[in-house]
Amino acid sequence: MSDLKQQVKELIIQRLKLEGMTPDEIDDAAPLFGEGLGLDSIDALELVLAIEQAFGVKIEDEASGLKAFRNVESLTAFIAEKKSA
Amino acid sequence: MQAIRAHLPHRPPLLLLDRILEREPGVRVVAEKLVTYGDPILQGHFPGRPLVPGVMLVEMLAQAAAFLEAEPLGDRPIFLAQILDARFKASAFPGDRLELSVKPDAGFGRLLRVEGSVSCEGRVLCTAKLLLAKGEARS
Repeated sequence: MSDLKQQVKELIIQRLKLEGMTPDEIDDAAPLFGEGLGLDSIDALELVLAIEQAFGVKIEDEASGLKAFRNVESLTAFIAEKKSA
Repeated sequence: MQAIRAHLPHRPPLLLLDRILEREPGVRVVAEKLVTYGDPILQGHFPGRPLVPGVMLVEMLAQAAAFLEAEPLGDRPIFLAQILDARFKASAFPGDRLELSVKPDAGFGRLLRVEGSVSCEGRVLCTAKLLLAKGEARS
């Protein structure tokens, strides 16, 4: 697993208080919202703030947020792309 | 008062603001509420010892936060989605002139997080962060 992916998973668990969950239990391709991890829109705001604080990456609007938040795979790719830009 | 009624869908006994003192949409709002003996909520909270329930202070902040929106809410009400870090330091009593201050803290999509405080004569009674969800227009 890439370092960034691992960091993203740890951030999700820590900030969204998914107690008892380990990074290994989060499937890279599983949807973060609704089914899958079952996050809601309140978690989305928390995640936007967490990613900004941890990686200095801003999620400007809802459309790019929803795209990035599809799963861990897409979120990691989004952060990597923004960080290198 | 007319401006308050034009902006908020709330009506007595749940319209909890008397005046808007300062307002810069998207930046900050300061509103005022005068607590009176006649308030129906205080009749039962508590008989002979009226004081404003803490949750009503939070509701006052939520109503004040609605004025961060530039446009009247109309048929797009705002709902409380989460109450964070609410602290109640002192009670509000009849005769108190409450100052309700709110400013935005974060937002994403339809969610707006605000920081608010209720004070009376410079004394802070309550602080809270509120997460508010802007509703969709009813069709």
